[in-house]
Amino acid sequence: MQFGIFSVGDVTPDPTTGRTPSEAERIQAMVAIALKTEEVGLDVFATGEHHNPPFVPSSPTTMLGYIAARTERLILSTATTLITTNDPVKIAEDYAMLQHLAGGRLDLMLGRGNMGPVYPWFGQDIRNGIPLAYENYALLHRLWREDVVDWEGKFRTPLVGFTSTPRPLDGVPPFVWHGSIRSPEIAEQAAYYGDGFFHNNIFWPAEHVRRIVALYRRRFEHHGHGPADQAIVGLGGQTYMRKNSQDAVREFRPYFDHAPVYGGGPSLEEYMEQTPLTVGSPQQVIDRTLAFREVVGDYQRQLFLVDHAGLPLDTVLEQLDMLGELVVPVLRREFATNRLPNVPEAPVHPRVLAAQAARAAATARA
Amino acid sequence: MSATASRSLVVVSAGLSQPSSTRLLADRLSAAVDRHLRGAGIEQQIEVIELRDHARDLVNNLLTGFPSPPLQAAIDAVLTADGLIAVTPIFSASYGGLFKLFFDLVERDGLAGKPVLIAAAGGTARHSLALEHALRPLFAYLNAAVVATAVYAATEDWGRSGVAAEDSLVDRIDRAALELSVAMSVRRSAVRKDPFADPVPFDQLLQS
Repeated sequence: MQFGIFSVGDVTPDPTTGRTPSEAERIQAMVAIALKTEEVGLDVFATGEHHNPPFVPSSPTTMLGYIAARTERLILSTATTLITTNDPVKIAEDYAMLQHLAGGRLDLMLGRGNMGPVYPWFGQDIRNGIPLAYENYALLHRLWREDVVDWEGKFRTPLVGFTSTPRPLDGVPPFVWHGSIRSPEIAEQAAYYGDGFFHNNIFWPAEHVRRIVALYRRRFEHHGHGPADQAIVGLGGQTYMRKNSQDAVREFRPYFDHAPVYGGGPSLEEYMEQTPLTVGSPQQVIDRTLAFREVVGDYQRQLFLVDHAGLPLDTVLEQLDMLGELVVPVLRREFATNRLPNVPEAPVHPRVLAAQAARAAATARA
Repeated sequence: MSATASRSLVVVSAGLSQPSSTRLLADRLSAAVDRHLRGAGIEQQIEVIELRDHARDLVNNLLTGFPSPPLQAAIDAVLTADGLIAVTPIFSASYGGLFKLFFDLVERDGLAGKPVLIAAAGGTARHSLALEHALRPLFAYLNAAVVATAVYAATEDWGRSGVAAEDSLVDRIDRAALELSVAMSVRRSAVRKDPFADPVPFDQLLQS
């Protein structure tokens, strides 16, 4: 099982000091967080993609390429790559290039983006959000699998005899997750292609997460990619820890109360009760995270959101130390102990390559 | 052999005080509907939703994007009801804020074809047309089947002499209730489609 960090990349004032970091500071903080993610023994760093303030990560492959050069093991990913407003040809090229530079340590998560005004900045219209996600991904999927593509669709100029370069490393297309909070259509899309499905697991109650993941698993089997319990599922999660849970609650409350996504709404206690947010001791984070398995079954990837709402970098790095030292080792052990047999690991480049080679050898013998 | 016909009636009341004249009007309306349906041999379950009880959850839902379990139950009750009575106080020439918060959370087709009786309470009869220029368009947008008679109760309607006179409050309540009960009795129970149980296959999605 993989554990990692996903970052939205928001520039938010620290409500306890009123200080807003500069873009330069925030970008360097994201890099520091990614490097720390590897240092403390986690597996994945995923960056958001946004094209409006107060967010900085507009150019994910630039950032991830830089991080790739400074890390050894870390898997680089996105949360999410906008499949609606990016040209799928450019996604195919940029992420294949990054895949080569990172030695295969790359996958990506596709999302639609929910901010209407962003779409026309890239020549699109949010009312076409779902059809854009279908058509653009159908093209991206082919560009990574067929050397020469003829293609015509509704949303971009046709392609005749087009080859996307570089070709994916070793002929293995980057693994794709489809992220959605509430759209059954996107769960169906992930299942149709046999790709991964990721639920951010932050904004919604467990029951909603349960039913959309159950739908994805059922349809994964329906579309012939294997049994439902072998579908590839990722979850988000949101934590803030201190050795004593009272300290965690006291320190995190001002960040919660002023956070752009839930400030002014429910109390911290209500939100913790109704969603997977966990503010408390490392043991509480362990217990809550292990219980996700009861909601979605055995799953392959757990990402934590730790660096938002104006939390200062030092605090975020402390959170990462605790995750690496006190939480994730226990989670690895406990998830492995309870895991049903035959549940696959998340696809990573060396494993997919080996499976591909084994298939080719079997075909050659036959 | 035939089982007794049965209908569910949900009453949404957006009164702020307890008791409120809004709730008083809502109770009079639901009692009248109950009487008419029973007269037609139809049993019914009546559920009353006081929006005041959900006030904080309504705001939280707007800010966080999901309802608390009690609010979800209230929304589900409205979506699955065979008939709806929606009653609000009139403030500043329109429905009260709580009332709008709640119906903002009802999905677009959630009320499609559903028989709805709209009613309002206000301090003065001068606001009575708010039912026609504010509530009726709101429910038209939601594709609800709003009955012809809307009921407005001003302060004077509760205490005036001659309550039995033609076109008095009592008379309007009875007329509106009859219209709603007729609409409910001929309507087949709504079946809601669950997109998570019954997804549209991807081939179809791609072609649409």
